[in-house]
Amino acid sequence: MPEPLPPFWTLVEEHGAALLDHAQRLVGPSDAADVLGDALLRALRAYPGLAHGEHLRAWLYRIVTNVALDQLARDGRRELTSSGALPEAAAHDPGGVEAFTDLIAPLSDGAKAVLTLRYVADLPYAEIAARLGCSPPAARQRASTAIRSLRETLT
Amino acid sequence: MRAPSPAFLERLATAAVDEQLVDAFFAHVETPLGRLLVVHSTRGVCRIAFPENGEDRLLAEIAAAFGPRIVACESASRPTLDALAAYLEGDSAQLQISVDLALVRSAFGRAVLAGLARVPRGEVTTYGALAAAIGHPRAARATGSALGRNPVPIVVPCHRVVPGSGGVGHYGGGAERKRHLLELERAGQAR
Repeated sequence: MPEPLPPFWTLVEEHGAALLDHAQRLVGPSDAADVLGDALLRALRAYPGLAHGEHLRAWLYRIVTNVALDQLARDGRRELTSSGALPEAAAHDPGGVEAFTDLIAPLSDGAKAVLTLRYVADLPYAEIAARLGCSPPAARQRASTAIRSLRETLT
Repeated sequence: MRAPSPAFLERLATAAVDEQLVDAFFAHVETPLGRLLVVHSTRGVCRIAFPENGEDRLLAEIAAAFGPRIVACESASRPTLDALAAYLEGDSAQLQISVDLALVRSAFGRAVLAGLARVPRGEVTTYGALAAAIGHPRAARATGSALGRNPVPIVVPCHRVVPGSGGVGHYGGGAERKRHLLELERAGQAR
């Protein structure tokens, strides 16, 4: 017998604090609640389709990560285009960020997070480190490991 | 690590109910009978429970019967919570709340609960008389069991059924609560 799906709200009560914390690390304190709210509604939509009630915590983390990365991608695009940091063509090519998001899709959530924070949100390593809860050298190390795995997926 | 705020959770739940993403929602209300858990399905109140009923197990049963998309939502429950509180505090003699008896599996159980519609506020009947009224004169005991499984006590007034031999008899919420309800309804009637 597969584990039945527990009432959705028990998941929110059990994991809400940790998920909020996770969202905050990825997008910062001001957007964390919005990201968590969007993620939980997305989770609720998909919930009855799950085959069993196992690994639900990991499943919720994945959804929060994806919503946070989308948010960072949107912010990054807005900032990059408004600051003129992107070449004219790229600024008018909203597909640029989406292409990047697709490119990194096969990576682990951790790798996606660090690359999005670095190359889409364009944050310095000190800020990335603060969001990921590690030291700046560790953040730099994670980014370079992520780029290495990205190269491996491309070859 | 801070927990999401109650206001955030309520906004989330309200959005979920508004977008019809839920199978059921629940909330609590303080009353003279204690803190009641009130669960709505998409069609009406499907479960009311007293505090000692064990909420986790109860919500798991709701998930099994209606689906797992269950949220705590006060705003959507508000009309029912207010009506229950007013009734139990004696401020209102009316308790018109739509119920969903989907948790009652047997046709006999549904017939017993439907039979309660003939017992108005302020009156009582007996297990035997109710059994006879629904066409099962020899099923007084089974009628008692069906009443004991009433998922929506107070609103579906199983407390108005008492033993023919006297006393208030059994009640899912305890004899004390049954006595309280009957006294409340008698007093309201006399006014």
